[in-house]
Amino acid sequence: MLLSRVADNVYWGSRYLERAEDTARVVRSFTELILDLPTGIASSWEPLLAVVGGRDQFDASHVRAEESDIVRFLVADESNHGSVVASVAQARENLRTAREVLPREAWQAVNDLYLFTGHDRESGVDRRSRARFLSRVITDSQRLDGVLTGSMRRDEAYELWRLGQAIERADMTTRVLGVRAASLLALAEQPDGFEDFDEVQWMGVLRSLTALQMYQRSHRGPIDADSVVRFLLFDVAFPRSVAGCVQRISEAFGRLPRPEHTMPAAQAVVDLLSGLPARASDGRELDQAMDRVQLALAAVHDTVYDTFVRGVI
Amino acid sequence: MSMAELRTAAGSWDELVDGEGAARPAAAELVQHLDELGLAELQQRQDLAELDIVGMGITFTVYSDGRGIDRAWPFDVIPRVIGADEWRRIERGLVQRLNAINLFIDDVYHDQRIVKEGVFPAHLLEHSVNFRPECVGVSPKYGVWAHISGSDLVRDADGTMYVLEDNLRVPSGVSYVLENRAISKRAFADLFAKQSILPVDAYTDELNRMLSSLAPDGVPEPTIAVLTPGIFNSAYFEHSFLAQRIGAALVEGADLVVADDECVYMRTIGGLERVHVIYRRVDDLFIDPEVFRPDSALGVPGLMRAWRAGNVAIANAPGAGVADDKVVYAWVPDMIRYYLAEEPLLPNVPTYRCLYADERQYVIDHIAELVVKPANESGGYGLLIGNRASRTELDAAIANIEADPRNWVAQPILSLSTAPTLCDGQIEPRHLDLRPFILSGATNYVSAGGLTRVALRRGSLVVNSSQGGGSKDTWIVEG
Repeated sequence: MLLSRVADNVYWGSRYLERAEDTARVVRSFTELILDLPTGIASSWEPLLAVVGGRDQFDASHVRAEESDIVRFLVADESNHGSVVASVAQARENLRTAREVLPREAWQAVNDLYLFTGHDRESGVDRRSRARFLSRVITDSQRLDGVLTGSMRRDEAYELWRLGQAIERADMTTRVLGVRAASLLALAEQPDGFEDFDEVQWMGVLRSLTALQMYQRSHRGPIDADSVVRFLLFDVAFPRSVAGCVQRISEAFGRLPRPEHTMPAAQAVVDLLSGLPARASDGRELDQAMDRVQLALAAVHDTVYDTFVRGVI
Repeated sequence: MSMAELRTAAGSWDELVDGEGAARPAAAELVQHLDELGLAELQQRQDLAELDIVGMGITFTVYSDGRGIDRAWPFDVIPRVIGADEWRRIERGLVQRLNAINLFIDDVYHDQRIVKEGVFPAHLLEHSVNFRPECVGVSPKYGVWAHISGSDLVRDADGTMYVLEDNLRVPSGVSYVLENRAISKRAFADLFAKQSILPVDAYTDELNRMLSSLAPDGVPEPTIAVLTPGIFNSAYFEHSFLAQRIGAALVEGADLVVADDECVYMRTIGGLERVHVIYRRVDDLFIDPEVFRPDSALGVPGLMRAWRAGNVAIANAPGAGVADDKVVYAWVPDMIRYYLAEEPLLPNVPTYRCLYADERQYVIDHIAELVVKPANESGGYGLLIGNRASRTELDAAIANIEADPRNWVAQPILSLSTAPTLCDGQIEPRHLDLRPFILSGATNYVSAGGLTRVALRRGSLVVNSSQGGGSKDTWIVEG
């Protein structure tokens, strides 16, 4: 059976890599989005900080908050634990001590990505090369996912990998929605005319979660805010929806030892979701709902740690 | 590239070409192939090999400023070739040697017949830093203590292969044998197709089989764990590699616990799980803070109790290092005669033991012609090469010898053999050695070839990767 220490490393390796991929996608889609918006609305890059996190650390070390400052902080800054470069480095560091439980190609994929992001980090800041850099991070992470899907036994290490990935994904989806909710609040105070760009912004939300095409296939019709929220929270069939992620968390718990200790935490998220309002009209309500989901996900994380790593149960 | 470019170093035996620059028989295909490739193409293959090494994450760790740094494994694309007939002789010699060494260790921890019969000096055991009184009376399965060993072989100017030392504690390098082969197969796919080069991959299966055979009786499918000091150890890459290949858990001391039943368990996500065999890559002084160094955080409290009770096998057995000592080494030929009643098939390098007044005096008088070695250091630290040392260094070495004679031995300076090596875009001869790996359990197994380590600096004889050494693939070629 999998060692607790290695379980911890696999779990965190998976979370960090997912974080790198998600952050890369959010920065990439925000870069695309901002080109479509008129100057005056959301011309600030600061919402990115709100999604990815690290606002306090950013403010402590920066006096300017322009595009290159924020993008460098989120993509290329090693001292920012949440940056793409630092996340990849931490994923690699965790997986270095878990190599023997992963297919060999998985380690090579992480190592390749680590060498690339370490070497080419500045190209992730420059607007002309940024999309290429970020896309490489995303495709390398997906390549690793493919290696695991295609060649890894469905053993405990695999389930822990899926677990870390699902928790991180669900967390990112709630953060993207939470920030969108906050910007809806801000928008209410803006002069008329900006609502015209509402649809563009919801497209941005979907894109940053690689959900636009799948949303459109399942929804048919123009983008509307309520259905986007429902899609991202409740559509179990979509792998980045919160409900989809929670289903994967439950599956992983079911296949790992001592499900009687872990399942209740997953069930708590399911219960919470079933009571949530599925509306985008009230920004405050949506924002608070996302906070509650994040707390429930944090409780899932604590359960993973107590059960599998500390073994206190 | 012409044969003339495969120069040999004056006074050394070259593994690929003879004194006239003609290919040695086993290397004929390779040398012809190198000739056809040309220098530019060869350099390109070297570059690709280095890319593979970085991409595959093949690393070793060096220490600098108290920090471990992960370095790409240094590899030279031109292989070292040994003919299969010669190799079979070497193999027999190694098996003979390890059989005698294991009989010696088992004897030393039981009746000490070899001491009583005056073949091995009693005071050597009394003063040995590697003799572990805690191991007296323990009987590991098959009477084997050194399960995994690596003996370093060097070839002198006349072509004789000598055993330079036996590494019986935690010898490392075998993972690089397998990795070097994977890279070399890409670089010279055409040659592998054309001639019969012995595969090296069987090693890990043999290792698995041997370790499984050590399990306590009645355990048909034992759980094996590789015990590593952790990621900061220079050989961590290898520990991970071997654990993967033999399907073992890679554990650190803190992952293991000895319960009240004196059995060893590992902490898993499902609770405690019994471990039957431990392939330890931690020096025995660190494996159990209850018995040895109390400050060791690398070990497992109670591990020695579990081992003595026969509830867990440890490879190599604690105490096996008693025969891994540059002084004891000098008696290995005598051990072979004593235990096996055979003549050694592989010669020792003549060794002067500073312990004895006459041999010590010889060493002091001829120090400039000798290599002086501390008895208990590995990794090339503390080594003095007489003809390259200054007078001050020689005097310091003499002072060290006189202060603690038992800790020093000296050997004639062998002119280690060379092989053509790609250095800064040119092919030049570089000195090398060979470390084959020997598995001992119910039966013996010797790796096909071993790790060829090469001193990348011109003229250097120090092949350790921690001190600027590189490596080559080793080809055992059927004639």
